[in-house]
Amino acid sequence: MILTSKKPQEEVLASLQDSGTIFVIGCASCAARSKTGDQKAVDDMKELLLSKGKQVAGTLVLPAACNLQTVEKYLAKNEDFAKADAVLILACGTGVQTVGDIFPQKTIAAGLNSICISTSGSQNKRFCSVCGHCVLSFTQGLCQKTRCPKGLVNGPCGGFVGGKCEVDDKQDCVWVLIYEKLKKHGKADEFIKSFISPL
Amino acid sequence: MKFKDKLKDSKFLITAELYPPKGTDTSAFLRRAASLKSAGAVDAVNVTDNQRASMRAGALAMCSILLKNGIEPILQLTSRDRNRIALQTELLSANILGVENVLIISGDHPRFGEYPNVKMVYDLDTVQLIKTTQILESGYDLAGKKLNGIPKFCVGAAINPSADPQELQIAMFRKKVLAGAEFFQTQIIFDILKFKGFFNRIKMKGIKVIAGVPLLTSPKFMGFLQSLPGVEIPKETQNRINSAADPLAEGIEICAQTIKELRKFADGVHIIAIGKEEYIPTILKKSLEA
Repeated sequence: MILTSKKPQEEVLASLQDSGTIFVIGCASCAARSKTGDQKAVDDMKELLLSKGKQVAGTLVLPAACNLQTVEKYLAKNEDFAKADAVLILACGTGVQTVGDIFPQKTIAAGLNSICISTSGSQNKRFCSVCGHCVLSFTQGLCQKTRCPKGLVNGPCGGFVGGKCEVDDKQDCVWVLIYEKLKKHGKADEFIKSFISPL
Repeated sequence: MKFKDKLKDSKFLITAELYPPKGTDTSAFLRRAASLKSAGAVDAVNVTDNQRASMRAGALAMCSILLKNGIEPILQLTSRDRNRIALQTELLSANILGVENVLIISGDHPRFGEYPNVKMVYDLDTVQLIKTTQILESGYDLAGKKLNGIPKFCVGAAINPSADPQELQIAMFRKKVLAGAEFFQTQIIFDILKFKGFFNRIKMKGIKVIAGVPLLTSPKFMGFLQSLPGVEIPKETQNRINSAADPLAEGIEICAQTIKELRKFADGVHIIAIGKEEYIPTILKKSLEA
């Protein structure tokens, strides 16, 4: 899932400074699991906007803000949405862009920061960079491109101490984890002999 | 005899390192280089590549200056700041300027430098960059295009005897050898016995491992080194520096004694004096005394 965090209130309000009527959108997928785009987050945002003298045309939590068909289906005939000048979207960057693409006439404001792709409850540990060149078979399923701070693809630098990364001594060196897994699968020798080519 | 040929010889190798100026004034660099040349015993001198992820003049420019001054340079090349186009360019440029020795390293993470939020590159990693030197030597670039004029390199890599688990670092040593590394320089070591154990574990015919030894100049500098991950300075060494009336003189003694011990079994020593290179001739002389 895509992990998101709430933008500071001042930043959200500043982005809506010149907007008239606002419609607030949440997302029941990833952002709801991060508690940044669920019904409560949407309600809280509505309260905040009203308390600052803003007009709120309506709110809606979409099943998935990144799904083109869903966004169209839920919003195209929504009368409150139609009345709004601006849309504040509590979803990841893809959700924001999906809404923005379908409704180019609306002023778009993002309420969240997209942090990373990870597993739920992982406390912002990056799992995937969506780089388009997946090498997880090479590493027993641990992404070194994402989880090594230098993104070294063939093995670690010399900066691991007690199995921890020199950049953050609270984080495991992903290469130590990979090596241990490879060893368990009898692939330590293969690790030494094979590498991802620069070609 | 060139450094590359010396690698095939049984000679105990001595290297040192200099850092480029922050600015355009090369006078301090030249002064330090001159003191290394007068030693006559330094086989080659590394020039660091934006060490500590902080901005300085280019290592290649300074390598070229060393060559003109009769000192054989080792160009340190990190994959942190350049993509594969720029890295290949740097390697070809080095050869055009007469620089063949290159130490391939990943480089310090920007978190420790002057630009903690800089965009890192790491388009290639160290293993891939070592392999790239071989590909260029075969007459082609990474895009498969034929080169007009083929470069030659003497490729080194780094290894950290203090990395833990050590087994993984040893696996990386072997991996880098298979990729084409011809010699190694280690991160700083303090404990000779520990290093000896490591050295014997990795020993490989034809591959020289040059031990990194720092010159401790003050309790403050020692404190800085201790703050680095994996650096463990033996209590005895700490006491000697902390209680010395002249910590620099004591540091010179410690460094000379370490080198003396290394001469008994290691392939060479890489002296890291960080601005105090003028004392290297004295250190080397002392390391040969009975």
